[in-house]
Amino acid sequence: MTVIAVAGKGGTGKTLVSALLVNFISEHTTSVLAVDADPDSNLPEALGVEDQIKKTLGEIRELFQVSRDEMGTMNKEQWLEGKIYAEAICECPRYDLLVMGRPEGEGCYCFANSLLRGVLRRLMRHYDYIIIDTEAGLEHFSRKTIDSADYIIIVTDMSRKGLATAKRIKELAEELRLNFKKIFLIANKIASEDAERAIRKFVKEEGLELLAVLPYDTSVAELDLRGDPVSEIDKNSEVYRKMREVASLMLNLSVKAR
Amino acid sequence: MVERKRIGIPEGVKVKESVGEEAEFPFDISPMYEGERIRKGDMFVELGGPTQPGFELVMALPVDQVEDMKVTLIGPDLDEMEEGKAYPYAMIYYIAGEMVETDLEPVIERRNHDFQNYIEGYMHLNQRYDIWIRIGKNAIKKGLKSLIQIAKATMMLYKNELPFIEKIEAVYITDKDLVEKLLNELAMPIFEERDARVEALSDEDVDEFYSCTLCQSFAPTNVCIVSPDRPSLCGAITWFDGRAAAKVDPEGPNRAVPKGECVDPIGGEYTGVNEFAKQESGGEYERIKLHSFFEYPHTSCGCFEVIGFYMPEVDGIGWVHRGYAEPAPNGLTFSTMAGQTGGGKQVVGFLGIGIAYFRSKKFIQADGGWYRVVWMPKELKERVAKYIPDDIRDKIATEEDAKTLDELKEFLKKVDHPVVKGVVRPVDGQKITNGWVEEEEEAEEAVEEVAAEAPAAQPAQPAAMQPMPMQMPGFQLSALQIPASSAAPAGVKLIIKDAKITIDKVIVRKAEKEKKGGK
Repeated sequence: MTVIAVAGKGGTGKTLVSALLVNFISEHTTSVLAVDADPDSNLPEALGVEDQIKKTLGEIRELFQVSRDEMGTMNKEQWLEGKIYAEAICECPRYDLLVMGRPEGEGCYCFANSLLRGVLRRLMRHYDYIIIDTEAGLEHFSRKTIDSADYIIIVTDMSRKGLATAKRIKELAEELRLNFKKIFLIANKIASEDAERAIRKFVKEEGLELLAVLPYDTSVAELDLRGDPVSEIDKNSEVYRKMREVASLMLNLSVKAR
Repeated sequence: MVERKRIGIPEGVKVKESVGEEAEFPFDISPMYEGERIRKGDMFVELGGPTQPGFELVMALPVDQVEDMKVTLIGPDLDEMEEGKAYPYAMIYYIAGEMVETDLEPVIERRNHDFQNYIEGYMHLNQRYDIWIRIGKNAIKKGLKSLIQIAKATMMLYKNELPFIEKIEAVYITDKDLVEKLLNELAMPIFEERDARVEALSDEDVDEFYSCTLCQSFAPTNVCIVSPDRPSLCGAITWFDGRAAAKVDPEGPNRAVPKGECVDPIGGEYTGVNEFAKQESGGEYERIKLHSFFEYPHTSCGCFEVIGFYMPEVDGIGWVHRGYAEPAPNGLTFSTMAGQTGGGKQVVGFLGIGIAYFRSKKFIQADGGWYRVVWMPKELKERVAKYIPDDIRDKIATEEDAKTLDELKEFLKKVDHPVVKGVVRPVDGQKITNGWVEEEEEAEEAVEEVAAEAPAAQPAQPAAMQPMPMQMPGFQLSALQIPASSAAPAGVKLIIKDAKITIDKVIVRKAEKEKKGGK
């Protein structure tokens, strides 16, 4: 099992990166789980499978909260597991997709979350690759719904906020003791050589490893705006080619690590 | 009770039999495979699940009726199934042994899920009539030929892991008509019977309760004790959940708590629970009564769904749930009260509970149960209405009847609520409160009486259910106490009834001028 977490400020293109990684890696193995762990993002749209989503994990957790009194002697963990496997995991042709959904509402979720952690841990260990599109706060990691990440890829653009967020994610990942092997940076929408130089300086200062510098590409930006799937990106574009290289690098890294 | 007997095999169906242990299996068996998900594309066949009927059932039978390690398969086997299709599926196990009882059936049945998931290339989901199995193409490639191999592996695991099972026999069915017939005529009645038994299960029927310390990160001294008559405060964990979790991880957040001796059957006090509470709370408290509101109540974490609050003005208890944002008649909101009570403290006058506790036959029975309840929000009352005894249901006010203490007093008087004349607790017929009438008649005296009696009476009469005002949090200081200190004119009359008072030393001192009279 290799867990790749893709994090970054909203709008930097982290969902684009996640979706392309899922597409490329699932060309090599179908033992891939894509996880949308950002309530604001749209990984299912970027993958073009939003019609196939039945329920989010959050919705199942809510259902559990209201149904649990009527379960009698039924085993609640098995109930949750059954619901997650049947309704929250979306079986796409080359990979599975799990949408975490909204964070919990009022009331006590100690028990529900404790059961969820167990179910997810047992589920996740069977995949070769897990690619997680996560928000900058790394909430699911801090709550231990997902307990570790092997590689963290931070996506940023040239904005001051994007860089500040990148820095914070790195600090947070270290604090949470995710036991990651490497933490990378992908710079997206880099329009000038000056910008690229600034990024390289940033990477050096923060002790990150630069994985790729992606140019600003109008057609990709428009596609992103429309919410079209990444599979429609021009195969000859620089973004597409560079992301394919990133995917093979990740595949090689994880094979070496095993 | 539904009769437990071997199923009859109808004529004309295809039957395969095999007896004895299998020497070798064409698949790995290990807990490592738990959670393994077989994707649609990798699946050979699906059994049960969303489109086909299915169930699993364990039945305890007399030893002479079970043929050990025998498998009977009724209906098509794997080699007659078409790839990618779904088929009906029933797994019935007959078990026998000196220690095997009907009550153990559900516990043993649950393990089918664990054991079958140890099998490589075999995914088992859900329980009872919801089972959903997928067999992977890989398993077939590696040599899996028959469901009999699956049954044999499962039976082997049963006998290894649960040695009290002396004999086990399996009947697997893939014949649609028979699966449906047995589901309706045999399995469903047994499942319903089990659920009914759960409703009837009491604290007295079991030897162990279970602890829950899942929320100790928020409430470090909180120890939830989960018993058949008392689910956890968060409402999520029943005694059955505790038992299931303790089996899987005996040192985890849900541990077995041997009951020990019963010290107080009405309040629900057990030596085992007391010892456990003392140890787990770091000595913070030493006694817990599971079904008492006023005496050594259960601690409250922060997760509780409902909070109960004592209103001395009406001598009754109100309940408010998390979803009700308005202040209760005592002027406080759920969150204010929860803030005072939460964090794993034993706070007399407040009690956090789970909504499911309203269903309990022992619901605060030491303090009169439902007959001491005077107020709850309409939404909450409707949710638990069927568990409220008929003769008290309409006497419990909601926000539609009363929003303030004065309105509540009026309402209770109008409906003649038991608190007005005195509550008789149903559990033993003892009258536990005096009602208001007496208080009103001798208003002045009664005030003095309480103030003088309370501190002395407590050690002598531990059974007295009157809460001591001084034990309550500051904001709750009741109307009862204030006049006692401020309006104490000369010529005080003390009435002390049925009290034993032991006093080491009494100092009588002339009152100083400026303090005398108060106003």
